[in-house]
Amino acid sequence: MCTHSYADHGDGVVLVTGATGLLGADVVRRWATGGAARRLAVLVRDRARWQLAAHRLGIAHGAVIAVDGDVTAEGLGLSRDVRRWLARDTTAVVHLAADTTFSRPLDEARRVNRDGTAHLLALAAEWPRVARVAFVSTAFVAGRRTGFVPESPDGAATDAIGWVNAYERSKAEAESLVRAVRNDWVILRSSTVACDDPSGVVTQRNAVHQALRLFHDGLAALIPGVAGSVLDAVPTDYVSDAIARLALRGGIDGATVHLCAGAGAMPLTELLAECRACWMRDPAWRRRGIELPSLADLDTWELFVQAVEETGHPRLRRVTRALTHFLPQLALPKRFDTQRADALLGVPSPRVSDYWGRMIDHLQRTGWRGVSALAEEAA
Amino acid sequence: MKITAGTEQHRAFCIGGIAYTYASASRSVRELAAHGSLETEAAVLEGFGFDRVNVAVEESPYALAFDAASRLLEEQRIEPTSIGLLVCGGTPSAMAFHAATDADAGAASLCTADRFRYPATRLQHELGLEHAAVLALDQLACTTLFGAVRVARAMMESEAIDRALCVASEFYPAHAGREALYNCTSDAACAVLVERTDDPAARNRIVGASTITKGYYWDAAAMREEVVASYFPTAVHAIARALESAGWRAEDVDWVIPHNVSARSWDVLLRLARLPNAKLWSCNIARRWHALAGDNFINLRDAIDAGDLRAGQRALLFSHGYGAHWTALAVEV
Repeated sequence: MCTHSYADHGDGVVLVTGATGLLGADVVRRWATGGAARRLAVLVRDRARWQLAAHRLGIAHGAVIAVDGDVTAEGLGLSRDVRRWLARDTTAVVHLAADTTFSRPLDEARRVNRDGTAHLLALAAEWPRVARVAFVSTAFVAGRRTGFVPESPDGAATDAIGWVNAYERSKAEAESLVRAVRNDWVILRSSTVACDDPSGVVTQRNAVHQALRLFHDGLAALIPGVAGSVLDAVPTDYVSDAIARLALRGGIDGATVHLCAGAGAMPLTELLAECRACWMRDPAWRRRGIELPSLADLDTWELFVQAVEETGHPRLRRVTRALTHFLPQLALPKRFDTQRADALLGVPSPRVSDYWGRMIDHLQRTGWRGVSALAEEAA
Repeated sequence: MKITAGTEQHRAFCIGGIAYTYASASRSVRELAAHGSLETEAAVLEGFGFDRVNVAVEESPYALAFDAASRLLEEQRIEPTSIGLLVCGGTPSAMAFHAATDADAGAASLCTADRFRYPATRLQHELGLEHAAVLALDQLACTTLFGAVRVARAMMESEAIDRALCVASEFYPAHAGREALYNCTSDAACAVLVERTDDPAARNRIVGASTITKGYYWDAAAMREEVVASYFPTAVHAIARALESAGWRAEDVDWVIPHNVSARSWDVLLRLARLPNAKLWSCNIARRWHALAGDNFINLRDAIDAGDLRAGQRALLFSHGYGAHWTALAVEV
C-alpha cells in the first residue's frame, strides 16, 4: 500500500453514485473507515439496500449521508433541499453507477450508462465548488480493438472499430461526454473483476463465473480465442483501493488510468488448463470425461452461434447467448497499458495466474453458489 | 473399387472393398416433416444441407445387409470361403428380419424363441462364409462400422486371419422419427472388406485410428445440450489422436470423408480441427443424408469412384456415435 499523501479534492462533500454496487460499496467503506475525515454522500435508489450494505461493510451510522435519487432521472431525481445542499458543499463527484449487464439492448444500456452520466454532469456543472469528476469506466471501452491499448482516449473503440456489447459502447459514449464537458476529470477504467482478493474468494458472481460454470458442466462447446488470447482480470480489492486512492487525488486532471492486469493477464490456454487441473481433482468430474471447449476464431464462433440459433432449441440458445455477450472479447487479443496506473499506485495488479486456481477452487468448494445453471433454469 | 493389399515392413491392413445398398424408396425433407418424422422444421434442415433420405418400406435390415455384402463379394471376386471373419452390426437382431412396416413384430420376437434367430449367422450361411468366425456388435450407433473394422483388425492380428467382412445395416421402423440432433437418417447397409497383406503397393491402407467413448453421455436424449457441447471438442481430440497414430501432420490430410451430418456442423468442425489443406467430400450429404450403417465408408467408395480421391492421397474419416462415441480413421489411398 502506497502511503504518500497527496492534495485532493475531497475537502467538501464527495458525492458517490453506485455505492451499493460491488466496487462502489468497497470504495465508500475505505473512505468511511479509513481515518480521513470525509463528508460522504451516496446517491441511492433503495435506501434499505444501502443500509444493509453499510451494515455489512461496518460503516458507522451517520458516517455517510444517503440521498434518494436515480441517475436515470433528470437532476438525478434529487429533492430541492438536497440539491441545494449538494450545490453548495460538493467538491467532488465519483461516478460508479452503471448497468453492467452485458446482454442489455443498447437503448437500455445507454439509459443508465450514458444518459445517467449526462444527468450527473449537468448537475455538477451547476455546483461551483466541484473540482473533480471521477468516472469509473471499463477497460473494455476498447471494444473490438486489438493489440496494445493505451491509457488515453485513444484506448476506446470508435464506431468504425465497434464493440462486443452495448455495455462497452455505452461506457465509451459516457467517457466522451465526461471529456467533452469538463477539464477536471479522471477516468478509471477497470478490467473484469474476477474475485474479492488474491485469496480467490468470490462474493459477487458475474458473467465470468457463469461462463466457468458452463465449462465445468460441459455445456460450452467452443470458446472464442486465438493464439495470444489472454484474460485480463483483477480482484475487487485492487480496483476499489485504486479508486479510493486516485479518484480524489489532485494533480491528475485529465488522466485515464487502466486498473487492469496488463502484463499480468493470463494466457487463455493456460487458464483453461488450470481450470481442468482443478476440476480433475474431483473424482466425479473426472469420471465424466468432459472436454473443455475448443478455441475458435470469431468467424467459427459466429458460425456456431448461427447454427444454434437456427436450431431454435431454447436451452442451447440460452447457453450460447450467455457466452456471446462477452466471450468474443477473448478472440480480440489486446494488452492494456498499465504504466500510469502502476506509477500512480506504486504497485501493479496481482497477476491473474497468482489467484486463478484459488478462485476456481473456491467456486467449486462452494458448489457454485450464486452461479445459475443455465440449462436447468431453461428446462 | 479396385482393391490391393500390402504392408510397409509389417503386414498392413487395407480396405479391400466397399459396397452398399440404400433402401429403395426416398422422401424429401418436406415430405418427412409432413409425415411427422422430424423434430426440427424442414427449412432448418434444408439450411443444414439435407435434401432427400432413403426409407425402407418393404426391405428388412437383413435384406439390406445381405445385398450389400453379396455385392461386395461379387464386385471384388472374393471366394466366400476365403473370409476368415464376419463382424456384423447395426439394427438390433430381433428387428433384423422384419420390414419397416412390421417392426413391432420384430420387437415382440424378443419374448419368444425367435430371439435366437440372428442375422450374423444367417449371413454367414447364406453367403457361404464357411470358414468365417462370426460375431456381432451393438450399441455403437453411427460408429458401428468403425468398431467392426477395429475388432476385425485386432482379431486378424491375433488369430492370423487375412480377410474379414464387416457389415452394418440400419433402419428406422416406419412409424419412428428420422431425426437425431438435427440430422436425418437414411436406411442402408454397408459392407467393408478388410485385408491383411504384404504388398508394399497396397491401396487404402489403414494407417491410424482413434476411438473415444464417454459413457457419461449414454442417455443422449436427456443430455442433448451436453452432447452438442461435447461433440466438437471431443471430435477435435479424436481427430488429433488419429493423425498422431498415423504419423501425419494436420497439413498432410487431403480429404475429410465425413459422416453425413449437417453441413453446418462440418463447417465448424473443420475450422476447429485446423486441417489447412483438407477438402470435405460432402457430395452425399444432401442426396443421401446420414446412414447410421456407415456413410463414411459409403462416401469413401464414392469419392474414389468419382476420381476425387486419388492414389497416394490421405483421407481422414470421422464419425460420432450419437451420444458417447467418437472415432476417426486415417487411410492412405
